Amino acid sequence: MMANLRRPRVFIPVILLVLLALIPIVVQDSKYQQSVLIVCFLFAIMASGWNLISGLAGYVSLGHSVYLGIGMYTGAILGKAWGVEPMFLIPLGAIVAAAVALVVGIIVLRTKSHAFVIITIAVLLSFQLLAANLKKLTGGSDGIIVQQPSWAVDLGTKPYYYVFFALLVLTILLSAFVMSSRLGAGLVAIRNDEGKAASIGINTTVYKVTAYVLSAIPFGAAGALYGQYLGFVNPLGAFAILTSVYLVLAALIGGRGTLWGPVLGGFIVAIANEAATTISGGVSARVLIMGAILILTVMFMPAGLLPSISSMIERRKAKRQTVKFIDQASIASSLSDVDTTLIAPRPHRRDHAGDAVLEVRNVVKTFGGVDAVGGVSVALQRGSITGLIGPNGSGKTTLFNCMTGTIRPTSGQVILAGNDITSERVWTRAHDGLGRTFQITRLFKSMTVLDNLVAPLERTSARQMVAGRYTGDEVERARDILEFMGLQEFERQNAAALSFGQQKLVELAQVLMLRPSVILLDEPASGINPTLIEKLANVIRRLNEAGTTVLIVEHNIPLVLSLCDHIHVLAEGKILTSGSPEEIRNDPMVIEAYLGPDHMLEAPGV
Amino acid sequence: MEIVQVLAFGLLLGGVYALLASGVTLIFGVLDVVNVAQGAFLVFSALFTWQIWDAFGVEPLLLIPVMGFLMGVLGWGIYRGMVMRVAPQGPGMTVLLMFGVALTLEGILNLIFGNKFKSVTPPYFTESFTIGQLVIPLPQLISGVLGFLILGGIYAYLRLSWAGRALRASAQNKDGAALVGISSVKSASFAFAIGAATAGVGGVLLSIMYPIYPATQYDWIARLLGIVVLGGFGSIPGAVIGSLILGMTEAFANTYLPQWSSLFFYGTILLILLFRPHGLMGAKTREDVA
Amino acid sequence: MSDVVLTMTDVEAGYGGGLVLQGLSLELERGTITCIVGPNGAGKSTVLRVISGLLKPNTGSVVLGGQPIGGLPPAAILKAGVAQVPQNRALFDGMSVHENVLMGGYLIRRQRSLLHERLEMVGDLIPIVRERAHDKAGNLSGGQRRMVEIGRALMLDPSVILMDEPSLGLDPKSVAKVAELIREVASTGRTVLLVEQNVRLGMNLATHGVVMEQGTVRLSGEAAGIADNPEIATMYLGKAGG
Repeated sequence: MMANLRRPRVFIPVILLVLLALIPIVVQDSKYQQSVLIVCFLFAIMASGWNLISGLAGYVSLGHSVYLGIGMYTGAILGKAWGVEPMFLIPLGAIVAAAVALVVGIIVLRTKSHAFVIITIAVLLSFQLLAANLKKLTGGSDGIIVQQPSWAVDLGTKPYYYVFFALLVLTILLSAFVMSSRLGAGLVAIRNDEGKAASIGINTTVYKVTAYVLSAIPFGAAGALYGQYLGFVNPLGAFAILTSVYLVLAALIGGRGTLWGPVLGGFIVAIANEAATTISGGVSARVLIMGAILILTVMFMPAGLLPSISSMIERRKAKRQTVKFIDQASIASSLSDVDTTLIAPRPHRRDHAGDAVLEVRNVVKTFGGVDAVGGVSVALQRGSITGLIGPNGSGKTTLFNCMTGTIRPTSGQVILAGNDITSERVWTRAHDGLGRTFQITRLFKSMTVLDNLVAPLERTSARQMVAGRYTGDEVERARDILEFMGLQEFERQNAAALSFGQQKLVELAQVLMLRPSVILLDEPASGINPTLIEKLANVIRRLNEAGTTVLIVEHNIPLVLSLCDHIHVLAEGKILTSGSPEEIRNDPMVIEAYLGPDHMLEAPGV
Repeated sequence: MEIVQVLAFGLLLGGVYALLASGVTLIFGVLDVVNVAQGAFLVFSALFTWQIWDAFGVEPLLLIPVMGFLMGVLGWGIYRGMVMRVAPQGPGMTVLLMFGVALTLEGILNLIFGNKFKSVTPPYFTESFTIGQLVIPLPQLISGVLGFLILGGIYAYLRLSWAGRALRASAQNKDGAALVGISSVKSASFAFAIGAATAGVGGVLLSIMYPIYPATQYDWIARLLGIVVLGGFGSIPGAVIGSLILGMTEAFANTYLPQWSSLFFYGTILLILLFRPHGLMGAKTREDVA
Repeated sequence: MSDVVLTMTDVEAGYGGGLVLQGLSLELERGTITCIVGPNGAGKSTVLRVISGLLKPNTGSVVLGGQPIGGLPPAAILKAGVAQVPQNRALFDGMSVHENVLMGGYLIRRQRSLLHERLEMVGDLIPIVRERAHDKAGNLSGGQRRMVEIGRALMLDPSVILMDEPSLGLDPKSVAKVAELIREVASTGRTVLLVEQNVRLGMNLATHGVVMEQGTVRLSGEAAGIADNPEIATMYLGKAGG
């Protein structure tokens, strides 16, 4: 949107919008066309708004038309009380819708997928009931007659047309703004993998609620206007579940998650709806046709029109270009020299720690009565590389997850830089300087490598949310880090297209963007080839030289022995022994833990 | 005495809800699909019951096995023809698919029956059953008791038959089920058929209690989904508890605060979810971070 | 002809682009317990996945009692006589122990007398199946679960049983009990193939050992010889001073 006007995906829609603006002026006696287009505008506005929470963040709401109804009632009730045309109350409609969305969002966004879908329907129906029953305020099921416009009769519906049109343009601008901002990037990250998004510092709660509130605003604004356009507001009309289904269908047909898809879909659905009514002359056929379109779209074009078209174009382009192979060996060998400030940790916000940067004290974690971790205390010395090893099932992963906050210990404490973080959220830990990677990489698959790298956040702030995706020095740092790790060629590749080993490196690069003081690596060497392991070891050493404290959980013992200053061996949920690599290598207990004790098979009582 | 009367009403209402909601929760447990078309299925069954009763004067209760079977076949077909193909795209898309099915069915019913209320009124429609001061309309009594009985039958079938065991096994542990040779497609189709069959049976039961027209599917689906969310997805005991809560709330509200009953119920759901995001009987998954 | 039950020849298999098994060959004799050991990532579990049909081999053959089973769907391989006891929780937690074992006979559900016979057989072999018959499987301890899982796998009277780390997460006493059960299972003429990370435990339990490294068999032979082979410690813990 903000980009070059000469690009077709910008100028085609802009020209179409200009043409739409001209219709009432150019076309004689276009009253009918205007009335159809007004509904098109309304659907496009709603579908674009819905797209912010459901398309970007992936939280499918089936009750979003509740905010249209709230806008309608706000306009009607206040308009009547104050003797004002609801049209002038559009901003108030938006504000009330946003306020309700804030309260509702905080509750319903605690649920996920299925439950979320259903709760959104329940919210819609609750408001329908409220409107029907709060008779003094809403006039009950008879509804409210809305004050008619004061403008001259010969203007016809033109004023409505242009105000709806203006709201559509504003909505498109809002959604273009969100998509180009860090908020939008964060939402897409949440859709891809919410747990991972939290681990790189995205405050998922704030992000989701913000998106939910923003998505309600166009509905509320349009509602105030729509109520006046209809001339009356009643519970069944204002809070119709069918409206929600239509707008979801619109976004689905056009393409969820895109800027123009929902707009296009809004026009398609509104026109199909009108055609169904005129041709078959009844409501029944309309429901049938919409239902059938919904089924067909879900089954045969689930991505929507625009994404399907663009992937078709890309496939054609790809045919013409020769596929570019990337030499694995060249990636593996290069590790460029860098200014250590690039990979140096940023100072802790609140650092009261002595030598131990990260500490777990007496951590116990019980699953179904069994102690997976039974009272472990470990301290990571500042500037060290510490290894955590042990056979399968010894509790390594559980302990690791207690540190990262993915699970909460049954008892015990986790201390970061002297602060107790045992019950802190995953994203707060990331803000406080704790970075982690995953054993099976969890990059955002639908995003490019560069987008993956600029996604991490060092704090949650409003200013940062509204900042553009690629503003600030992040892009430059991301490129520097990619270059440092020899990954610069992959910048524009989709994360899904990389090999597993490459993904591991990119995930480490992503974590580096947080400038963490402590990095927890979960089996960094598993599933990747020896050359990459060597490279990885070099990267870890460099990071450590630059001042980062590292914890490695790993099965590759030779790697751990060569890399670590200090090693803890875990067995059966307890620390078996700790020491330097030399001590561990020669410790008979360690050999026994890995190779198994001799006496284990004596059958009891035999 | 009034309180006993209200409790009895609530219990009977809960019986029908429990049967219908079990169908939804069963489909969810085995397939991870939220069947938002359950309301449309039951309206479909109720309207056909009306049609047959109206045309031939057949005792509606005799249609219970017929409608159960027909809806079961329809459910099986919908699973094989549509849900199975869309399932890999995730729960969001299957919900939308089932919404499409619901709208299509509503549209078809609209074309056939028109948008008018239809009531099945067999001779016992206006009769009541009296014990002491307790007066219960016969249709309510019949539907509630049959609801519980049929649900009990389904539950026993799921517990005791091989097909039922295979179904529960798939719901509890998909990998484990594959290990002993249970076909996931067969289990899923069977679950969908049973789920839809409960709507077929429930539709007959509701037809003698309430007037029905196509768009009432929305009221029903809202109630049923509310019950399932409240009880926790995939849990049949949860669905029964949720149904009793809804039945009681509605009965109480109808007596003391008419018009507010559904709102009461939704309010309860929102409150419970605020403290237990996974429902009353739902388990918290280990993956959860928030 | 010797008593070979299962043969794998030059099997290559993997996920996505990468090969995990790189030309693996293996023979299992009737009534033996063979244990595959090797460091993480050597491809131990992948061998089990190929045999049970969860992963199709790219090349090479898998033959069970003269019948090629490589690439068949898992259900067909199960019917052919290969049962599995996986590493993760595989029981139906909401069902009773009895029902769990019963479900193991799903494929022979129509042969009532056979089903009954097998239930008796499993009950005789594994006392806990009778003792805790009506308890929910979800309430069992780790060792008890493992035994019920083995009992369930025996319901189809398989000729080969695959077990992925049967000792994982168990205390020493339970390990001993499970090991005893595995020996008993083998003594009835069944062939057991198991994967263990714990070398000594695996070799003590097994009659034969296979050491894997990077997708191929590095060593194989009688279990006793494998356990004392000095190369193994090096493989796990790296070369001293290296």
